[in-house]
Amino acid sequence: MSKGFRQSQAFLHTWSGMLLGWILFLVFVAGSLAFWREGLNRWTRPELARIEQPMRVLAGSQAFLAKTAPDAKSWFIPIVTDRMPGAQLFWVPQPKPGEPAGRRRGRGRRDTQALIGADGQVAHARDTRGGEFFYRFHFDLHYMPVIWARWIVGFATMMMLVAILSGIVTHKKIFKDFFTLRRAKGQRSWLDGHNATAVLALPFHLMITYTGLVTLMALLMPWAVVANYIDERVVAAALFPSAAAVERTGRPAPLIDLRRVAADAERRLGAPASFIEVSDPGDAAARVTVSQSFGSMLSSRTPRLAYDGVSGRLVWRSPMPGAAAETAGVMIGLHAGRFAGYGGRWLYFLCGVAGTLMVASGLVLWTVKRRERLPDPTRPHVGFRLVERLNVAVIGGFPLGVAAFFWANRVLPVDLGGRAEWEVNTLFIVWAMSAVLAFVAKPRLVWSLLFAATGVLLVVLPFYDIVATDRGILDMLARGDLVIAVIDATMGVFGISFLAVAHRVARHRPSAKRVRKLRSAEARVLEPAE
Amino acid sequence: MTVLPLILSIAAFLSLGLSTDAHHRRRFGAGPTAGRRRALRSAGWVGLGAAFVPAILAQGWVFGPILWVAAIMAGAAIAFLILNLVPDPRSRA
Repeated sequence: MSKGFRQSQAFLHTWSGMLLGWILFLVFVAGSLAFWREGLNRWTRPELARIEQPMRVLAGSQAFLAKTAPDAKSWFIPIVTDRMPGAQLFWVPQPKPGEPAGRRRGRGRRDTQALIGADGQVAHARDTRGGEFFYRFHFDLHYMPVIWARWIVGFATMMMLVAILSGIVTHKKIFKDFFTLRRAKGQRSWLDGHNATAVLALPFHLMITYTGLVTLMALLMPWAVVANYIDERVVAAALFPSAAAVERTGRPAPLIDLRRVAADAERRLGAPASFIEVSDPGDAAARVTVSQSFGSMLSSRTPRLAYDGVSGRLVWRSPMPGAAAETAGVMIGLHAGRFAGYGGRWLYFLCGVAGTLMVASGLVLWTVKRRERLPDPTRPHVGFRLVERLNVAVIGGFPLGVAAFFWANRVLPVDLGGRAEWEVNTLFIVWAMSAVLAFVAKPRLVWSLLFAATGVLLVVLPFYDIVATDRGILDMLARGDLVIAVIDATMGVFGISFLAVAHRVARHRPSAKRVRKLRSAEARVLEPAE
Repeated sequence: MTVLPLILSIAAFLSLGLSTDAHHRRRFGAGPTAGRRRALRSAGWVGLGAAFVPAILAQGWVFGPILWVAAIMAGAAIAFLILNLVPDPRSRA
């Protein structure tokens, strides 16, 4: 391969990775946490009992909705598993005359939602967004319009793909040096770490980046749709077919027991069902649509069955999806890993952690490489300082914010107004304070300070749970509820790792040998890192 | 059947890793001879390919390939950690 080509790729790799690396770091951290979305949803609501009988929850949900929203346009009822905190119901009221129908209402409307607990009654849990926050944050960010956020994340993802592909060309030795890790050797060690986390999980990185783009494709590249369809609803119908709509009759008729419908659907699908939608409940024209569980197949476009809501007769079955829709479904399924059991989820999570480390080490490497070429290392230029400090603010500060979020979930008063939003605000306030600190104090001090703080918060949290809640590790192990116990233990392990890193940073003394004189060839700045 | 691809993949990557000069020297005291290097390398590649069979048998044609790739990634990571972090027994003794 010609030197010129590799150098151009090195340039591309450096700058595509560096400029969007901070966003990618956030996406990787939040996305990795989102693999434990359901577990975190339970962890953040310690007052809820574990679900033992999903059908009892379903019956309770139906009873609650029949009482609370008997004349709704539609009900949405998840069929719970023991991994979930409860059934998060929501419903859409009948559209008022003159109001445009079919438009999505704003997210997070609290008056048309309810959580049904293990005993089939409305659960009174602390107000929190739990694991959902990390899931949404990894593509919607926060405090900004969702569409902007998705454009930003989409662009960063595109650059990630560029960075991965150009990185393979740039670091030409990654496959040869596959097994090499030189420790305590300054730049070489950073490079080995960067390469190892990149190459070991390379299939994952390529997959997660590419399929991440697929999830946003309709936003990023709408032209195929725009060119072929005029009406948005036609597109939706082609992609997500549903049974023909029925007119509301106005004649009341009792709704069938949803447990019977669910059982019949599971028998016909040969797989667990995960979601029930009821349209026009209590009307003679009621329809019940049951979706197959994501966990049962690779594609995220799972088959659905529609039943007559009064007689319980099967009236419709979703057609086999077309090749393109199936491909997109499979890619989204791969991205989210919903098919994965606990083993698979751990692998997804650890690969996500590897991706986080890859981005972080790449960002740090940018400064490590340039520091020794600075004309005067004690007084670096503005660009260098900016990158160095942004690294501290993001790589050091964001994890501290996340740790603070978990603590806020535990210690904020339960009756605080807008409590869920305050948990999120806590994350950003702590993060903002870290960022300010990063810009006023010496980077090395702030690095170890932030890592140490994160470590302490995470290490102490499991002990707090043992003392202050009845869901400490020991209780949960005794009750066989491993998910909560493992989340606590994992936080502890990550806390210890953060402390170890903080310790190393604090102890680190740059060796005199590495402060070399400016090399003769200026062009070396663009030299591939190998 | 689900763990077999992982075991094969770990063994394969250990074999590939030991075929490099640095790791062979570290574990056996000397660089590999040409024949030995070839043997270790082919054993590694055969192991990676062979892992595909139990993956398909365990999970079928939809999830089998995913299991295979997953086993390769996990195996590479585990072999990487073993080769770099497990101290050489002889240098300790």
